[in-house]
Amino acid sequence: AQLEIDSDTPLLWVLRDHLDLTGSKYSCGIGLCGSCMVLVDDQPMQACQITAHEVVGKKVVTIEGLAKENNHPILKAWYEIQVPQCGYCQSGQIIMAYALLKNNSKPTDDEIDKAMSRVLCRCGTYPRIRQAIHQAAGMMREKEVSS
Amino acid sequence: MNCFDPDRRQFLKMSAASAGSALVLGISWTESIESSEKASPPFSPNAWLRIDTDDIVTIFIAESEMGQGTYTALAMMVAEELEADWQKVRVEHASLDPAYGFQGTGGSRSVRRNWKTLRNAGAIARQMLLNAGADYFNVAIDGCQADRSRIVHAASSQSVSYADLVTRAAKLPIPSSIALKKPDTYKLIGSSIPRLDLAEKLDGSARYGIDTKLPGMCYATIVQSPVFGGRVKQVNTSDIKKRPGIIDCFTLDEGVVVVAKDTWQAFQARKALKIEWSEGESAKLNSEDIIQTLTQHASLETKSLILEKGEPLSQLEDHSNPIETQYDLPFQAHMTPEPMNCTVQIQQQRIRIWAPTQSPTNAKASALAALKSLIAEPTQDKIEALEQRIEVITPLLGGGFGRRNIQDYVSQAVKIAHRIDQPLQLVWPRSEDLQHDYYHPITQHHLRGVLDKQGIPQVWHHQITGLQVDEYGAQTLPYSIPHILVEMQRLNSPVPIGPWRSVSHHYNAFAIEHFFDELAVAGGHDPLQLRLQLLSEPRLKTILQIAAEAASWNQQSEQRVLGCAVHSSFGSHVAEVVELIKDDNQAFRLGKVTCVIDCGITINPDTIK
Repeated sequence: AQLEIDSDTPLLWVLRDHLDLTGSKYSCGIGLCGSCMVLVDDQPMQACQITAHEVVGKKVVTIEGLAKENNHPILKAWYEIQVPQCGYCQSGQIIMAYALLKNNSKPTDDEIDKAMSRVLCRCGTYPRIRQAIHQAAGMMREKEVSS
Repeated sequence: MNCFDPDRRQFLKMSAASAGSALVLGISWTESIESSEKASPPFSPNAWLRIDTDDIVTIFIAESEMGQGTYTALAMMVAEELEADWQKVRVEHASLDPAYGFQGTGGSRSVRRNWKTLRNAGAIARQMLLNAGADYFNVAIDGCQADRSRIVHAASSQSVSYADLVTRAAKLPIPSSIALKKPDTYKLIGSSIPRLDLAEKLDGSARYGIDTKLPGMCYATIVQSPVFGGRVKQVNTSDIKKRPGIIDCFTLDEGVVVVAKDTWQAFQARKALKIEWSEGESAKLNSEDIIQTLTQHASLETKSLILEKGEPLSQLEDHSNPIETQYDLPFQAHMTPEPMNCTVQIQQQRIRIWAPTQSPTNAKASALAALKSLIAEPTQDKIEALEQRIEVITPLLGGGFGRRNIQDYVSQAVKIAHRIDQPLQLVWPRSEDLQHDYYHPITQHHLRGVLDKQGIPQVWHHQITGLQVDEYGAQTLPYSIPHILVEMQRLNSPVPIGPWRSVSHHYNAFAIEHFFDELAVAGGHDPLQLRLQLLSEPRLKTILQIAAEAASWNQQSEQRVLGCAVHSSFGSHVAEVVELIKDDNQAFRLGKVTCVIDCGITINPDTIK
């Protein structure tokens, strides 16, 4: 797709309003809640806080892109543990978990809490998020061993 | 869902009169479906379900899904009685239709109010499929059984799928009496079933209200008065209209609206607005004055009596030194993760409204009222014609908590779309959402108690004062105390007030349970033991015992302190034990919270955990 937009437009609105990628959510718009978390060159970033201009030439992965990796252990664990309730923040949670597990294959509870505190959940799904991350980490380590 | 009775007006009157969802059971859509153009008509014995010739069972859910698991639980109730193969079950949000009665989700009632209706709906369909199956095999119905979307005739070892019976079943009359399953034969109810809306919530494809996209849609936002009830005096609309991407900028009664080609342009233009407000009466309103007003009113005689037992007043007069306390609880905002938003498309034939609302019925009423205010000479005929055109679609809700029972964002979106003449989405920025909530009210609780020589409470006096405060949660006291008086002083509010999770239960439970602890401590009793001694509701007593045991109540120390509380609301009973742990700096931190719930019949246990 080719777009002509003001280069100051935050990535979030480019994704949502211009590319119809609505999996990244608008909730606070000021970089506090993490509902719009995406990966920019593999780093978790809040899409409401970076402009279209700043991501030129970079690889952006949203929840839609991550979900294309069929049966990713994180999504599998999220389903098995039945994490989401209203679900609005969950794409942000999953992106954040993905970034965490990329750098840490066996995070402790404290490490999980610290990393995941960047994404707020109004339903309070934190205990299940923690559980799902442990489970996904286990599946990913097993996969590593067997491959 | 388009195949509805043409005599809709008559129908509206009927359902308004009965105002219950049970009405639907007598309604057959069969005729209109048969006359539709489909070659193989689906089977829709009532408004709650449809079975298509591909065997897919679609269950229509007339409650909003905001994370509480209602889509799954309600579908389970229908599928259980229908003996449907769960793998073939799909859910769709019911359209706004009088067939469902009042559509509004709140008061923790989705399961309770649908419990009979939905099982009946499933059982009626099952009975019709059984009749069709018996007819198909040309056997007596007694020998047929429904199982996993098939009718089985065991004696001849034959079975036929629901899919192959739908055409036949659709022609049968609705049975006048049906038998519901016995609970010990349930296959779904009581088992933990994965939520039906989960897969789409994991891959980003779930569509919340704010994710509604229409061809040619533009984006609007709003600034409302920073003072409640204020009006716009002057605004720089002509400057704003010159900004890139701005389609329009204008004033409504509610505030100033900006319409743009994308949300960001609308938000940026909103920031550039220079508005002079006529602030009106509420200009000097502040929390301190509100609190003072509550305190002043607390002593007035205009209270309403909520509960009285024994002779509380004369008992209190006899004691010069009752134990007294006051609790103040604050205003609370809902902070739904998905901010207020609404999408509207006004066409010749219909006015379509995508509202992430807890009440499509109220959303429609708000939309109608908004449109009424915009048309010249709103005659009865014109209003009815408008009403016929309005269609409310309910997407998923990114949280509700009571906020979405109030439809201010719907009426604003309708007014804007009416002016713009283009499909339109209104989105409130987070700051607007927080500043223009319908807040849960501030309350004050004055409590007095008297103990006997053994330290057992003899008198209980609870006075609730608040803005549009309610008594629910305080109209009964779960403890056996001889003299009880509960009174309430309900004041009108200058601040917009709305329901919040549990409505009034949590502030009343907070006051009751804290004061009970104060009385226990003053009388030298263990708060758990005194509760167990005085609790009159056996179910509360049982779960409190379980919670206390699970939390090792007897293993307390200076380093590990426990507190407990109980409450009953909406037919459920809850006990909690909270652990505080002293860390190295001698400060307490929250440890484990043990919670035991007795909610009666559980539909989907995993969603209660």
